[in-house]
Amino acid sequence: MPRPRALVYGVIVAVLGGLILGTGFVLSGLYNVAASVQHFDITNAVIRMTLRRSVATRSIGIEPPDNLSDEALARLGARHFALGCAPCHASPGAAQNPVAAEMYPAPPPLSHAVEDWQTSELFWIVKHGLKFTGMPSWPALERDEEIWALVAFLERLPDMSAEQYAAMTGRETEQNDGSGFDFDLNANDETVTAFCANCHGDTDAAPVHPLAPPLEGQKQDYLHRALVEYAEERRPSGIMEPIAAELDSAAIDELARHYAELSERPAAERDDVDPDSIRRGGLIALSGVRDDDIPACVSCHSTESSGQFPRLAGLSAEYIATQLRLFRNGVRDQSTYAQIMAPIARRLSDQQLEDVAAFFASRSEENGGTSPSEQEP
Amino acid sequence: MTRRVKRTVALTLAAASTGCSGEQSALAPTGVEALAIDPLFWTATWVGVLVTLMVVVLVSIALYGPVSWRARLGSDWIVIGGGIVLPIVVLTVLFLYALFIMQANAVRSQEAGDEAVTIVGKRWWWEMTYTTADGEKVLSANELRLPVGRPVRLRLESDNVIHSFWAPQLAGKLDMIPGRTNEVVVEATEAGISRGQCAEYCGGAHALMAFYVVAMPPAEYDAWLAREAEPAQRPKTGQQARGHDVFMQNGCGGCHQVRGTAAQGLIGPDLTHVGSRHSLAAGMLTNDPEAFARWITDNQHIKPENLMPPFRQLSEEELSSLAVYLDSLE
Repeated sequence: MPRPRALVYGVIVAVLGGLILGTGFVLSGLYNVAASVQHFDITNAVIRMTLRRSVATRSIGIEPPDNLSDEALARLGARHFALGCAPCHASPGAAQNPVAAEMYPAPPPLSHAVEDWQTSELFWIVKHGLKFTGMPSWPALERDEEIWALVAFLERLPDMSAEQYAAMTGRETEQNDGSGFDFDLNANDETVTAFCANCHGDTDAAPVHPLAPPLEGQKQDYLHRALVEYAEERRPSGIMEPIAAELDSAAIDELARHYAELSERPAAERDDVDPDSIRRGGLIALSGVRDDDIPACVSCHSTESSGQFPRLAGLSAEYIATQLRLFRNGVRDQSTYAQIMAPIARRLSDQQLEDVAAFFASRSEENGGTSPSEQEP
Repeated sequence: MTRRVKRTVALTLAAASTGCSGEQSALAPTGVEALAIDPLFWTATWVGVLVTLMVVVLVSIALYGPVSWRARLGSDWIVIGGGIVLPIVVLTVLFLYALFIMQANAVRSQEAGDEAVTIVGKRWWWEMTYTTADGEKVLSANELRLPVGRPVRLRLESDNVIHSFWAPQLAGKLDMIPGRTNEVVVEATEAGISRGQCAEYCGGAHALMAFYVVAMPPAEYDAWLAREAEPAQRPKTGQQARGHDVFMQNGCGGCHQVRGTAAQGLIGPDLTHVGSRHSLAAGMLTNDPEAFARWITDNQHIKPENLMPPFRQLSEEELSSLAVYLDSLE
């Protein structure tokens, strides 16, 4: 048995020697960081195990929403998939881009992602991305409902044919579904509005999902501001931020003008809405609730008020309720206008929030409108 | 004395002296109720001073006096007389005197007429509802106007947390408690302006919840109330008209009422005659266009957490027109 002192010296020499060798290895540049050279199998196995365990542990407690199997939600997710995911991950409609295929690690095809990962894990990966893989995190971490739309699509992706995929993404007529965010949105009006219509609908078709608001007849100043706020990342959205960032100021002007001039789409007929909820929402929207310090919504949100205050009549209840929650949770409070709305949204109870959303969804400017002069419904 | 100590003493004296003569001093009563309390305060104060002096003298004798005096102080009658009889007599007399004054004020408030102002404590301002001779309710805010020589019943309420109404030159404090109405009758004895303050902690901006009391000769008061009952005056200049449009287009009417216009909100202070008030923001700002503009854009710094959102989206031109319009609402 060596003497204790010799043992101590031995350990010190080993540690120092290790440090010197390690530093020398790093500084010498001998390690090859080339993507063209594969890891050792053992390195690969350790990295993959670390990744799997990390995702599994970090995604504990994530609960999928009830509407995850909703096909419309998957369609909304499919639109984003075509723009943001397909360029690297390939799609049923296009083989993987040879450049993306040479990334290391290569972005895996997602057709079997559902088999490899649990739903909560998929959500976590889409939301947070993966270090050192090229997989980015969601541009707006606060917008879980957008991420779930994409997950809803991924759940349907296995065994999807090219035709089914084209139908899901609404791109039956186009070939460029692999082109990603470098689409030319500033080319001409028809291209741009057709692109917007893909989610937001147009005079012929309703929006693909209630979370994508119809744009026809919205106020011009508001539309303009919304696009600018998305582009400048002052209004968080993983879907709208990258799209708005592609638009130049002339295109933003033109789009705002274009949609403001169109006449509003008639509100979709809904038979699953509680008439009492609409009635209660009407009282709040038209008269406010003095005891709760809630002013009448229509004192700002009417056709007679500033063009910066959006028209709400005819928007979907889901969209209005989602935006009110974003205001309430402090996600949407960065612009000067959001600073007006956020404190008021915080005064709404959950019930009041749903009621107000139901009321505006049931209205359109044609069927009585929402001007402040109107009497109670 | 060091300079620092000198400065502290000077500041304390300055603060104390303004407290005695200032617009929010309880020692300069200009109301019948406050005048009735005033002698009670001074009597209690002087009795306290005399008792303190007596104790100091007796203790000094007991410590340093001649032996014969010290022996005398050690006797039982000093303990019984000074420790039991004297406090009972002095405190009983003071107590009866206080009861007498309270009773006199209670009788006065029972005999007072119907003239009343309802004051509701808000976060953090005061809603004042006057009633004209014809029984018409007139909504106003943050300023209590009183006719000199006429008792007025103040009905104190709250619709949120407990506040306390305190106009030191008029009367003592009285709490404003949600769900009940407390009443105090006040009568100003001379015309002039004094200041009041919320006297019960009611949230972050509690200290920023003040108001002015404006006591006026009765004829002037009646004329003022008649004018206050009228709708707001129409914009007279182009800039005022522009400010009126800005007010309407930006949703101000959702919370604020300007009688005679489409603005019918009852959440924030009534602005029908805001331009004629002594202050803005419940005693926080002077009443001029610059202060209006500051409040509209920066109210969360002037009165943190108040219920009005900041309106920073207005252009300079819109903001100045709006401020000029509000200032014109006299």
